Amino acid sequence: MSQREGSLDFQADSSISPLPLLEAKIHQTHSLARLLTKYAEQLFQEYVQLQGDPFGRPGFSPPRPPVAGLSAPGAGHAGLPLPERLRLDAGALAALPPLLDAVRRLQAELNPRTALLRRLEEAARRARALGAALEAVLAALGAEPREPRPEPAAAAAAAAAAAAAAAGAFPAKLLGLRVCGLYRDWVSRTEADLGQLVPGGPA
Amino acid sequence: MPAGRPGPAAQSARRPPPLLPLLLLCVLGAPRGGSGAHTAVISPQDPTLLIGSSLQATCSVRGDPQGPTAEGLYWTLNGRRLPPELSRILNASTLALALANLNGSRQQSGDNLVCHAQDGSILAGSCLYVGLPPEKPFNISCWSKNMKDLTCRWTPGAHGETFLHTNYSLKYKLRWYGQDNTCEEYHTVGPHSCHIPKDLALFTPYEIWVEATNRLGSARSDVLTLDILDVVTTDPPPDVHVSRVGGLEDQLSVRWVSPPALKDFLFQAKYQIRYRVEDSVDWKVVDDVSNQTSCRLAGLKPGTVYFVQVRCNPFGIYGSKKAGIWSEWSHPTAASTPRSERPGPGGGACEPRGGEPSSGPVRRELKQFLGWLKKHAYCSNLSFRLYDQWRAWMQKSHKTRNQHRTRGSCPRADAARREVLPDKL
Repeated sequence: MSQREGSLDFQADSSISPLPLLEAKIHQTHSLARLLTKYAEQLFQEYVQLQGDPFGRPGFSPPRPPVAGLSAPGAGHAGLPLPERLRLDAGALAALPPLLDAVRRLQAELNPRTALLRRLEEAARRARALGAALEAVLAALGAEPREPRPEPAAAAAAAAAAAAAAAGAFPAKLLGLRVCGLYRDWVSRTEADLGQLVPGGPA
Repeated sequence: MPAGRPGPAAQSARRPPPLLPLLLLCVLGAPRGGSGAHTAVISPQDPTLLIGSSLQATCSVRGDPQGPTAEGLYWTLNGRRLPPELSRILNASTLALALANLNGSRQQSGDNLVCHAQDGSILAGSCLYVGLPPEKPFNISCWSKNMKDLTCRWTPGAHGETFLHTNYSLKYKLRWYGQDNTCEEYHTVGPHSCHIPKDLALFTPYEIWVEATNRLGSARSDVLTLDILDVVTTDPPPDVHVSRVGGLEDQLSVRWVSPPALKDFLFQAKYQIRYRVEDSVDWKVVDDVSNQTSCRLAGLKPGTVYFVQVRCNPFGIYGSKKAGIWSEWSHPTAASTPRSERPGPGGGACEPRGGEPSSGPVRRELKQFLGWLKKHAYCSNLSFRLYDQWRAWMQKSHKTRNQHRTRGSCPRADAARREVLPDKL
């Protein structure tokens, strides 16, 4: 146990086995993350296709508009202790739904009556579900909960994102690309981090 | 800054930004140089243009001494670099672009016109919406399923290709009073359709039309006036049964039930039957079955599987004089006619031993029929049934003769005996 955190140190003490129910929960959450990683990739591909070239072209390197309250997993993320990584994952998953909702509203103007709108709605729901499952795992493991994100700040993040996109259709497309990319990155990151909790997973 | 010059009839429709808390944008801080898209501005932003029109645009870099200048900037449209001869430098910070004879937009979210720095990084973007105003929708047709709802379909004008997202709205109102209503359930039977599920009045006409709107304008169809009772359709007849008619090898009996939803109103309903041989795609249609719920198909091939379907037209419902709308066909039902027991030309395993005299089988049969008729006919208006009875009798007696002649050596007859169904007449 890490004395500093007062919680299980997953890396140092691999001889401690989680209880069977907890193990099942971890497996389940990991499987969910794996499934959502596939869906997130599909969402990203569908998104870029509807925005038109050059979105989706290999080598397309657009500017990354700031998204209030959320950034991509940092280069140092993999080097953090596992509990910290999982907390960051949970925080990102909580921040994503209002951003995905904002993108859906923008796409309702740009690509009305397309399946993309439903996919964005589903993505928001799935992010919430995975975030809740991850929080439950963290709580069961006795890890310190992440700092709760106040609701007004989450709404402000979505409003600010929408405000930034109010500059025009192209910035709105860029913002959606950024958010779909963040969704894909964080779900994939969560899958990788949970994989280290799964017995027999990579250390 | 030179603005886009759309064609003569175009309305360059700029979409105003939604009312959102722009203050939050200021609180978050001005976009940083590294965010790229905010270090230049394209004008016009998101213009709407007619196909074939021209556009003059500018890309103005922000006044950052360390930032890019107009020299070295270039344009791409939908990811494709535009020829340099289309651009010209207006001043140190502004690059202009002239596009002529624009094609329709490639995607409904708009063509991506992007201003790049010399290193290829994106400085700004604008979406072009190039298309046509909608043409008048036409060919509206509507039907009501069992008088409970109304579904309408239409054809978009110019076959729908405006290159812009075009919204179609089906409107309806009672002819002499009432407000305009808008249909809400779209794409129920295809991309240009709408379904009104409830709250429809009977015995009073409706006016129905379609409005098409896009960024370049709108168009309205002609008004269709109809009474719900004149466009009623119903479900296909359920419980369709097809069976043999005793041993008659060329007939099948078809029975069905009136569609239950309208069964109390179908006094004048019409039915149609269609049938085909198993391995054929050609249907034969029996029309004018009137309001009966059974029919006999005759002139069929012996020993053949037939598929049969029935449909209903609720003609005359509540006194409507209009033609009504045929239902869908019922699910196919199959049955087979009995195999022929009499040897026909060219075939059959059951050749009679003695051979037949060459005076002709038809003539001989007719003689036999007339003789039989004299003995059994007692009512001239039962001739069809009488003919059936005679045929059935002939088949029985022929079978008996064959048994005497060729005892058990007629595999086809034996097979026919096994296949004969109980007489359902």
